[in-house]
Amino acid sequence: MHPLVVDEARKQYEDTLAVDNVSFEAQPGRILGLLGPNGAGKSSTIRMLAYITTPDAGRITFGGEEVGPGTQARMGYLPEERGLYPKLKVGEQLILFGELKGLSRREAKDQAAAWLDRFDARSWVNKATNELSKGMQQKIQFIATILHRPELLILDEPFGGLDPINADLLQSVIMELKESGCTIVFASHRMEQVEQLCDDICLVSKGQIILQGTLNEVKKRYGRHTLEVDYEGKDAFIDRVAASGGARVSQRSKRHVQFQLAHHTNPRVILTDLLRDVDELIRFELMELPMREIFVRAVTEAQGAEAAVTQAGGMA
Amino acid sequence: MSKMMVIARNEFRTRVRTKWFILTTLLGPVALIGLFVVVAIVGINSVESEEQDVVVIDESGLLFPHLLHDQIRFREATSHPDELRERVLEGDYDGYLVVPEDVATGGTVVWYSASGGGSLMNGELRGAVRSAVRALRVEQQDIDPAAYSAIMANIPMDSVQLTQSGEERGNVVAYAVIGGIMGFLLYMAMLIYGSVVMQGVMQEKQNRVVEIIVSSMRPTELLMGKVLGIGAMGLLQMTFWAMLIAAGSMLSGLVVGLFVDPASLQLPSTATNQEVLAAMNFSIPVIEPLVYVVFVVYFLGGYLLYATLFAAIGSSVEQQQDAQGIMLPVMLPIILSIAFMQSVIENPDSTLAVVLSLIPFTSPIPMVVRVAMIDVPLWELAASLLLMGLFIQGAVWVAGRIYRVGILSYGKKPSLLDLARWIRQA
Repeated sequence: MHPLVVDEARKQYEDTLAVDNVSFEAQPGRILGLLGPNGAGKSSTIRMLAYITTPDAGRITFGGEEVGPGTQARMGYLPEERGLYPKLKVGEQLILFGELKGLSRREAKDQAAAWLDRFDARSWVNKATNELSKGMQQKIQFIATILHRPELLILDEPFGGLDPINADLLQSVIMELKESGCTIVFASHRMEQVEQLCDDICLVSKGQIILQGTLNEVKKRYGRHTLEVDYEGKDAFIDRVAASGGARVSQRSKRHVQFQLAHHTNPRVILTDLLRDVDELIRFELMELPMREIFVRAVTEAQGAEAAVTQAGGMA
Repeated sequence: MSKMMVIARNEFRTRVRTKWFILTTLLGPVALIGLFVVVAIVGINSVESEEQDVVVIDESGLLFPHLLHDQIRFREATSHPDELRERVLEGDYDGYLVVPEDVATGGTVVWYSASGGGSLMNGELRGAVRSAVRALRVEQQDIDPAAYSAIMANIPMDSVQLTQSGEERGNVVAYAVIGGIMGFLLYMAMLIYGSVVMQGVMQEKQNRVVEIIVSSMRPTELLMGKVLGIGAMGLLQMTFWAMLIAAGSMLSGLVVGLFVDPASLQLPSTATNQEVLAAMNFSIPVIEPLVYVVFVVYFLGGYLLYATLFAAIGSSVEQQQDAQGIMLPVMLPIILSIAFMQSVIENPDSTLAVVLSLIPFTSPIPMVVRVAMIDVPLWELAASLLLMGLFIQGAVWVAGRIYRVGILSYGKKPSLLDLARWIRQA
């Protein structure tokens, strides 16, 4: 039941500043979504959380204890690039990982058996890892991560390669761990998963945090400016609305359109307009921005701002 | 159990169960013994093959009656050399011997054959000609044949070595052989087990499992765990082989007998193995416990020194080919020490031998060779081991720093300069 606190962490690799004074907190019983475009510094941050590397400056603590060998034993880490010993049997593999986290051989064996049952994978215990399908390996990898009942869980794209049924199973286990008070950091590019799972958001770009807060706060900040319309009939209204300058079309398919409204636009005006064309209005919903849209806007804005600063600097 | 030991035990357990380990452990000596047996059988067969048919053109007219050999049939030439030449080429005779007129006073006897003759055949023939010429000289000098035999009787000679502990031992050749074998085993151990470590590290990096492992333990612990686990595997393999060698050395008399030509000991070619061994003063060499201890210590030391460095190299690259360039500087001292092994055996007290056996990177092979052969002064042994210990610590430090950066570096193939930078950075 401990918070993970990152305080002004900084990491430099040769000539790139991968993590630039980053501060955030992950709370027990909550899932923090660590987001950011490729190369934003997510992996560098995660490696410091896992004490694989150490920050050049700043402090990272878990439950008040500086991250180190002590916290490693209480942490489970599932990296994006998966890795198991290809020739080692599943059972031995899990026992090895358990022992490395400080479990006794006996405990590791029991836990491995219990989790293999839970994941319907008991029969694989004596198979070499390289005989398993990618999805199966994925499950084994996840079991290896949580075998020792970690208090801090760092998951980097945990659903990659899983079919919907197994993804659901994994999600339910993650939610259980969360309920039991585990502090979870979840890194992903799949925004619909982030939306489903995360309580808090931390968005990094170029080593800096550009957006931070609870999921609800963040969404509120971007306001209800997304209008979704499902309809039957003519679609001439779409072009009229777009031409009026009151909204931008962000998605369009047969019998469906999504607008991003300008701040001053009253949705009522659009509703009146479209009722002239459509035969049947199925849905007219004013929504919060989807996480995906927030991600794109935040990153584009941050990079735009930076470009402007660079330009100004160049001119000065 | 410490995490390092968890890794070491896992390495050991998984590796001793691999086909590679079982095959090399069991078949290594079988292949070696097989080779010995084949060589021995071929040797025996060529000696005991059918009678050789040799024509003699005796220009002296004196030597022919003295030419006697139980496996070579000498016949006096009745035809012209040109014709003999034809018939030898056709295979009617094994060859012909031209004995010059002045054979008793130093003229050269020439042997013509189609095959050039095997070394055994040449040796037998040479022996027969030598005996014949000596017999002729004895006759011409009017020497009493009995006196001659008395002069030429076998002269046994022993080599006895004075050692610090006051003991004496003989059999310098046998100890040189033992030293050579031990040196060679060390060479194999450092090179082969070192590259097993390198491969292992490289594979962990390739299949990315290393990132998960280092989220549970310090990279240096992982590095040392691997090195120790594979070292234990190597020690097991070596112990098994050592036991075989010990058993083999008890049968060594038999093997030696097969390779020694009785004629070189002034014995008749019909001499039994026992007679040959007795004439050579051959006894099964006793290996002092110290030699075993020194061997094991230098095996461990040399292995630790090189395996940690090989591990560092393995961590820095993603594929075998990329390792070649960086490996050279590490392998050079091993190659050097095996290249100088012959001269160390020939002169185990030379400055070269002493210096080589003090420098940690080259010391294991020469030192083991020397300890097997002579009494190495205690200070040399102590100094060599002390230096070895210091260098191992240094190697672990350097390797640990390269390893920490290396296992997480993907993409570009590093140069030696990059590695040096990693050491400073880490």
